[in-house]
Amino acid sequence: MFKYILVTELQASLYTWKSTVWFLITSAIFSFTSYLFLTDKELSLLDQTEMLWLISKIIIGTALLIITVDASNTINAEFEKETAESLFLTPLTTKDFVLGKLLASLALWIAIYLISIPYIIVVSAGSHLTFAFVIYVLMLGTMIILGFQMMIFGISFLFRSSKNTLTTSLIILLALVIPATFSSTLKNNSLSHFLSVINPVDNVFSSLDNVLVDYKIAISSNLLYIIPVLIFCLAAFTFMLYSIKLFKRSGIVNKD
Amino acid sequence: MKTAVKTENLTKLYGKTKAVDCLSLEVKNGEFFGFLGPNGAGKTTTIRLLTGIIRPDKGKAMINENLPTNSIEAKLIAGVMPESQGLYEWMTAIEYLLFFAHLYGVHDPIKAAVEKLAIVGLSNEKNKRIGAFSRGMRQRISLARALINEPKILFLDEPTLGLDPKGQEDIQNLLKTLNTEGVTIFYSSHLLNEVAQLCSRIAVIHHGKLIAQGTITQLQEQTGLTNDSLKDIFLKLTGE
Amino acid sequence: MHKINSFIFFVLLLIVCFTSANSILADSSSFSLPPLNINILSKQTLNGIAGDYVTVSAEITNISQKTITNITTYLSMADEETKLPVDLEDWSAEKGLFIGTIDSKQKLPLDWKIHFVKPGKYSLIVIAEINGENQPLTSNITHFTVSPKHNLNPGQVLPVALGMPLFLLIIMMFATYIRRAKS
Repeated sequence: MFKYILVTELQASLYTWKSTVWFLITSAIFSFTSYLFLTDKELSLLDQTEMLWLISKIIIGTALLIITVDASNTINAEFEKETAESLFLTPLTTKDFVLGKLLASLALWIAIYLISIPYIIVVSAGSHLTFAFVIYVLMLGTMIILGFQMMIFGISFLFRSSKNTLTTSLIILLALVIPATFSSTLKNNSLSHFLSVINPVDNVFSSLDNVLVDYKIAISSNLLYIIPVLIFCLAAFTFMLYSIKLFKRSGIVNKD
Repeated sequence: MKTAVKTENLTKLYGKTKAVDCLSLEVKNGEFFGFLGPNGAGKTTTIRLLTGIIRPDKGKAMINENLPTNSIEAKLIAGVMPESQGLYEWMTAIEYLLFFAHLYGVHDPIKAAVEKLAIVGLSNEKNKRIGAFSRGMRQRISLARALINEPKILFLDEPTLGLDPKGQEDIQNLLKTLNTEGVTIFYSSHLLNEVAQLCSRIAVIHHGKLIAQGTITQLQEQTGLTNDSLKDIFLKLTGE
Repeated sequence: MHKINSFIFFVLLLIVCFTSANSILADSSSFSLPPLNINILSKQTLNGIAGDYVTVSAEITNISQKTITNITTYLSMADEETKLPVDLEDWSAEKGLFIGTIDSKQKLPLDWKIHFVKPGKYSLIVIAEINGENQPLTSNITHFTVSPKHNLNPGQVLPVALGMPLFLLIIMMFATYIRRAKS
């Protein structure tokens, strides 16, 4: 039954221009940055591997921002537009509802990823890193995006307000992304190092650095970074389940 | 005669406010049951309790003799037209009905959708976006959705609100036809003349409590207003 | 008698001249040659294009009579157009080379790899500091030019950079057309 929710969400994205405008903006960002990196500017004088690393961060950072906005709205829109009541009057279970929404939101990430592939190919030409770049961006990007989605869905079920969910989610996103962009010299003390270890965004960026700059392509070389991201996904999943439990207890409409 | 809807001491609290207070009522199969009350009496909350949208704090509600209201089986046999007009503005009428037909697992969703559009008089608007619908058309598409799964019990919350007299008459005739075909109708409204016209039995709710129940004749006897209209009975019962 | 006096005068004059010459020679800080000679060998090969990696080759020679120890050598560069010193870290040339010992008359090579990051005209010197000495020693100034790098479509980026947004726009418009045609 979740497939009907998924299909409807995808249709809504396509027909309402909601996601397609985002894709266009994403493509424009990637076009601008890839052109800037490769042409006659100071950026073009970076090592190619450094350039690839920067571009991978731009792809994942852009996707995280778009998914945060989309996921903050996708569940709350049903409550705010009062369509949730008619949905839950059907035999649709909460599980199918959430799964359908989650997959639709994930499809947004997959679309952004597919849009980025031509840029990846062009920028990594000659580096023998194209395949690793493509695979690792997909793997790490999917994990971090899924984790964020589940976390934001959990927040949505608690707040039932797209404005509050979006504000909270953006603050969390900034709190995780900004420290991840600090250079290693700013992470020398034990507290920064600890935060760096538990920050899933930092771990994704570090793994990409490991792969693209240090040529450590094997999964085993990146386990140190992948495991914290998986733990984050698990924590987000648990939080989402807890929020759904509270939601069910309070009812689909929690005010008369 | 089997029971279509039964509640026993159904109670719902919002904070300290009892939105529904120890409500016990019974609706037989095939009845056209009216549920009257002033604004804020608890009619919508009652319907939400009966359709499984919210959980009661005390008491219980059953559909079709013994089905819990939030069970899948209950949802499959109930059709609901809620008061809130939550519609997917970007969908066309046919897309909207197809979507819900799929959610209900209707055998032939396309046929069902086309049929229900015809019943509510929206066949010519099937490819029109709901966002462009008038108020009356929105009520009709909402009713079509409530009928998409061929329900045995139909819960209607203010179904003719905002409709013009022709629209109201069309809906009323449709509901009478459905009732004749055996569909139990639980009709919540504050439009007294409509309820008086359509319903075989009426319950009156006020401040969450059931204050009267029966046919119009029984209500007249209860209140001592033998020759008076339902309006006068209602006003006396609710003290408005 | 006159001849003996002239001879004695001449000998005394010779002694004075010799003593003065000795003392002048002894005071090397005022009038002696620097002990080290630094020569940039790659004067003619330094010109390049932004993005190039080039090697600055130099040679340090101990032209003094004694062994010199603990010498630190490094580059210094200035932008001739802006008249400002260049931050060598940007050019990956900030490292110093340390010479523990250089014997008298010995020559040692010095190499720095630098990355041309910005086009322009530059001047370059090599500086040597001898531990304990107040005055550093320098090579002659070498001038070189870094030309800008022009490539409007490296790696075929333009078709992708322009083509992808256009492609997505076409898809959007097509989807809208299909939707409108349906309704």
